[in-house]
Amino acid sequence: MSAPAISLPHGHDSHDGHGHHGHVTLQYQPGLPLSRGKLIMWLFLSTEIMFFAALLGSYIVLRFGAAVWPKPHHVHLSEPIGAFNTFVLICSSVTVVLALEAARANKAGLAKLWMLLTLLLGMLFLGVKAYEYQAKFSHGIYPAAPRGLVYEKPDLYYGSAVRARLGEPAIIDRLKELDDTPVERLTSEQAAARSRLQQVRAMVASPEQQAFDLAVVADQVMPLPTEGADGGHGGHANGLNDVFPWLRLPVVIPGGNMWASTYFLLTGFHAIHVLVGLIVFAILLLYRLDRSQAGKIENAGLYWHFVDLVWIFLFPLLYLF
Amino acid sequence: MSDQEVFKERAHGPVTRPGDLPAHDAHGHDHAHDDAHAGHGGIGKYLLVFLALCALTTMSFLTYSPLWPWRSEPQVGWAFMMAVSCTKAMLVVLFFMHVFWEANWKYVLTIPAAMMAIFLAIMLVPDVGMRNRMVSQERALHMARGSDVKLLEHAAEAKLPKEQAGH
Repeated sequence: MSAPAISLPHGHDSHDGHGHHGHVTLQYQPGLPLSRGKLIMWLFLSTEIMFFAALLGSYIVLRFGAAVWPKPHHVHLSEPIGAFNTFVLICSSVTVVLALEAARANKAGLAKLWMLLTLLLGMLFLGVKAYEYQAKFSHGIYPAAPRGLVYEKPDLYYGSAVRARLGEPAIIDRLKELDDTPVERLTSEQAAARSRLQQVRAMVASPEQQAFDLAVVADQVMPLPTEGADGGHGGHANGLNDVFPWLRLPVVIPGGNMWASTYFLLTGFHAIHVLVGLIVFAILLLYRLDRSQAGKIENAGLYWHFVDLVWIFLFPLLYLF
Repeated sequence: MSDQEVFKERAHGPVTRPGDLPAHDAHGHDHAHDDAHAGHGGIGKYLLVFLALCALTTMSFLTYSPLWPWRSEPQVGWAFMMAVSCTKAMLVVLFFMHVFWEANWKYVLTIPAAMMAIFLAIMLVPDVGMRNRMVSQERALHMARGSDVKLLEHAAEAKLPKEQAGH
């Protein structure tokens, strides 16, 4: 047969063991002009778009449907840290693009360097995230009930929770120890906080207690930073929970529980995605990243850019709104 | 690359030529692939996008500066920040994810996904967004309200009896 009009794929089974008989060639037209790996990655990403759209959409709808939503400072969010993390992720997006370019130019060493840098930046992001989570946990903000200290309003339930905490044997012992400590051995801040704590204990136990008293108690335990007080951040340092970390008294953050649920769900799922990306990069680093691996780097990069994309929306929604 | 070829590339994207199995990509020697990517990218372009992203991130902070004229209306700041975020997202998708240079298949995947995403968010509004329009009395009693924030603010202004005595 001359001038084959049809070509069969080379790996086709019918070729095996048939020698020259397989010279019939078929014209193969792929459904979409892109490689299978990339097609699957984009299909996966389109499901991810809907996944995060559902999470972000519920956050927005919950937030604007809520009667009260805490200000970022009420829940100890720091905008500069969030902005720094945004910067880290943007940088890692650039390094992964540069790794792809280097691999396409067949510069395997350079590609590996950029890939390693991407991995380190991703780890830095997770480290900062862990630090932020720690700041929430240390203030008693947890996504679920057993450890969380957040109450919605300074009502009777809050008052009885404070009383219950102050009545725990371990706390009674610590309080006694604190009361017996001579003033000279306390810092001036601790001495002032001790006298405030004594008044709070009296107010919580008082039979003539009124709603406003409990609001004062809540403010003493952890004041809500006021708007515009030099970046709004200085306010809460002298709350009783901050001066005596062992106290862990219940705190009042109006809307704080719903906030914690959405915050940890959104950032948690995002952090899991970052972690998966890091595992992929770590696996890629085992290869020689020359031109033959460019397809893999491209697909990993697509995923990574998507993770960056989600953070681009998460950052203003969580930290700046 | 002649204009004619450029046009073809833009019209059809990184074409897998007839006879090329997509699976061949993995084995290198994919000339179509190389050709398709020769026309775009460039480290300079990526750095430009990076600088733009950094500038846009700092722009979100503009709403916090004293220069921002709409401090009393947070909605303006929110709209501004969302616009900034959308611009950043577009930059990342178009240039870092190479969508700008891709063939028309990009619309097949992104447009339905984006539409579903928007519908999904809208469909949450009646049940979730408006959940506080009609709540049971018991729930209304226990949920936080704006008045609680006011109460806490008053409490922050008021001092403890002993502190008052001290001053």
